[in-house]
Amino acid sequence: MKAPMSNPALERFLAKIYVDADARARFLAAPYDEAASAGLHEEQCRALEKIDRVGLEMAARSFRRKREQKRD
Amino acid sequence: MAEVVEADAAGVGAKNMTDRVGLGWRPELAAGIFAHLDEIDVIEVIADDYFDSASGARAIKTLAAQRPVVLHGTSLGLASTEPPERKRLEKMAKLVEKVRPETWSEHLAFVRAGGIEIGHLAAPPRTRSTIDATAANLHRAQAIVGSLPLVENIATLIDPPASDLDEPAWLTETLSASGASLVLDLHNLYANSINFGIRPKQFLARLPPIQIHQVHISGGRWIDDGDLAHRRLLDDHLHDPPDPVYDLLADLASRCPNPLTVVLERDGEYPPMAHLLAQLNRARIALAKGRSAKAAA
Repeated sequence: MKAPMSNPALERFLAKIYVDADARARFLAAPYDEAASAGLHEEQCRALEKIDRVGLEMAARSFRRKREQKRD
Repeated sequence: MAEVVEADAAGVGAKNMTDRVGLGWRPELAAGIFAHLDEIDVIEVIADDYFDSASGARAIKTLAAQRPVVLHGTSLGLASTEPPERKRLEKMAKLVEKVRPETWSEHLAFVRAGGIEIGHLAAPPRTRSTIDATAANLHRAQAIVGSLPLVENIATLIDPPASDLDEPAWLTETLSASGASLVLDLHNLYANSINFGIRPKQFLARLPPIQIHQVHISGGRWIDDGDLAHRRLLDDHLHDPPDPVYDLLADLASRCPNPLTVVLERDGEYPPMAHLLAQLNRARIALAKGRSAKAAA
């Protein structure tokens, strides 16, 4: 049976690279390997190799600003 | 179980048959809103701001006695393969019970996963899995709050990875699977269209007009990473809605059979109240233009 393309493990991985700059840097240096080491399945790892890198950095900055605003 | 005043099965106030234009409630705008209630048809209140404030909830209840109020959530994270936290849904239920808004709504976003708080609205991968999970989450919310939320399309700066549907298809399928109505944020639609290469009017044309009952309008600004080729439109709610948003509103009004409730959202850098009221009038003009075109068709 084909694994679902989206599942809690994938969302957790995305949340991690959205909020954790070190995790994001490791991921961008080796997307497939980092995704695989997080337990994501082959299809998800392949999809994450093609991630929108510009958008990832912009979104991460935007999320960081929102978290900072909430703390203020 | 809380009951939403005048709500039908889809959680939509069905008795009002005319278009309305209103404003998002912000403490900084309170004096101006109270001074101009006769020019504001409806007020949208961010629900999360009042989850833990009994006095705030009482104030919103008082406001709801003077003008129609709709509640809008930001932290439930319903577009996720994880179920929403029951305690958050119970807080929403309590607030709905107290305020008795016309409707309540939430974003089609995930905001946390595996215990990691993202801090804002993130677009889930657009897949069949997230459609089914979102529909299940919306029905969980309905069971606890007492009515199905309306759901809002979000702006995203990143094309959601691991997606196999585009946004219009994912939205349409999610509405179909859940039966929920859409709060169509036209600036989010516009920004995502610009950022990811879809024509805004084509995006709008692919959405089911019968399921659109509320509309958000707002503005944003361009951002880049130092390379202008990479610039993207950020939905920041700090600027006036750009002209194309009003064009989209007219276009929507020309094809939507439902009365529309349009809310202008402004989260900072507040201009004088007269400026905001002028934007509400622009929205009324756009609605009238669209309705005239619909009548003439």
